Amino acid sequence: MFRDITIGQYLPGESFIHRLDPRTKILSVLFFMVGIFGVKHLTSYVFVLALTLFVILSARISLSYLLKGLKPIFIILVFTVGLHLFMTPGEELVRFIGLTITLEGVEKAAFMALRLIFLVLFASLLTLTTAPMSLTDGLEKLLTPFAKIGLPAHELAMMMSIALRFIPTLIDETDKIMKAQKARGADFESGNVWQRAKSMIPLLVPLFVSAFRRADELAMAMEARCYRGSQGRTRMKQLQYRPTDVLVTGLMGTFMLLTFLYL
Amino acid sequence: MKINSKVLVEAGIMIAMAQVLSYVVIFQMPQGGSVTAGSMVPIIFFALRRGWKQGILAGSVYGVLQFILGPKYSFHIISLLFDYAVAFGALGLAGLLKPTSKRNIALGAILAVLGRFACHFVSGVVIWSVYATGNPYWYSLGYNASYLLPEMMVSVFLLVLIYDPISRSIERNG
Repeated sequence: MFRDITIGQYLPGESFIHRLDPRTKILSVLFFMVGIFGVKHLTSYVFVLALTLFVILSARISLSYLLKGLKPIFIILVFTVGLHLFMTPGEELVRFIGLTITLEGVEKAAFMALRLIFLVLFASLLTLTTAPMSLTDGLEKLLTPFAKIGLPAHELAMMMSIALRFIPTLIDETDKIMKAQKARGADFESGNVWQRAKSMIPLLVPLFVSAFRRADELAMAMEARCYRGSQGRTRMKQLQYRPTDVLVTGLMGTFMLLTFLYL
Repeated sequence: MKINSKVLVEAGIMIAMAQVLSYVVIFQMPQGGSVTAGSMVPIIFFALRRGWKQGILAGSVYGVLQFILGPKYSFHIISLLFDYAVAFGALGLAGLLKPTSKRNIALGAILAVLGRFACHFVSGVVIWSVYATGNPYWYSLGYNASYLLPEMMVSVFLLVLIYDPISRSIERNG
């Protein structure tokens, strides 16, 4: 049952966007998300659309693939549009079975829907063009200044790297245990919620026990190689903040300011 | 804050396990939500075993991982924070209780899910007041309870049954 699972959404590539430093991309998405709340007029979305299309085209990601990422918000999108369409008072456009659609309603609905769509698209672009491991490195670097106030930036990133490394291993393990228990007569696919929850026990117990054994072995291996946390730790591949990264971060920061001032 | 490497590795592996279990859906609900095979169980288990501070750290990392690997529910910068890092970090609250009895384990798990619920609730109120009109409180309460309540019952049920046997087995092996 696990053969067809894809973990994460990263699409490897060599584009300009792919090669940006992960820190640049994380900051850009944050600037964009703040900036879009500064947009005040429906027409200003032309600029947001231009920016988003520019990023999509330079990242060479197919639009249809990207639009699939909107599926999880489909219901809330329909809901938001519906609510604004019928509930906004103003100049009447159409009326049927007691419901009126106003000009202001159409405008407001489009405005809210566009905001939602752009927010999700831009956040998806981040994970489509950046490998999870590289995002982790970027986050670690961005959080390092907070280590002074007690935030364990290195430890958090290490947990994330270990988790990413072990997800495929544990998927295989889960698959194996499920098959073994099925061979012994376990039934994972019938009954009500309680019966199914109960049938998870023969899966969870061996899975936990073997996971803790793995953790034990890995911790011992790390200590044997003198792992001592972040102190004096070096990297084989250093993240490099290049002039293009400075430029992109600067431009996105400017975009954020402009939306609040003019758009 | 110093975290010893054994605790660190355990946290990493429990986060991986939570992610794997979130792929195992045991019940598809009519309104489109689903009950997973206790994807919160590993995080709560870890928090009970290692205490609330470590639990909150592991939970937050799991939240960020969900953002990196999963679908994006990015409605607002506040929702990004509250629906991912803070909400899952709240699962670590389970560690406020010592897992000495079945009652404490159940209470810890309930506290953890209530903490997560509170975060999604806040985020829901913000989203609702930005994107829609009407009373944001009832909407957020209803929507978040609809999927978290069944998930909470399954998680509590599983944790109470598996905590002791697994702990004993870990002690024996290492």
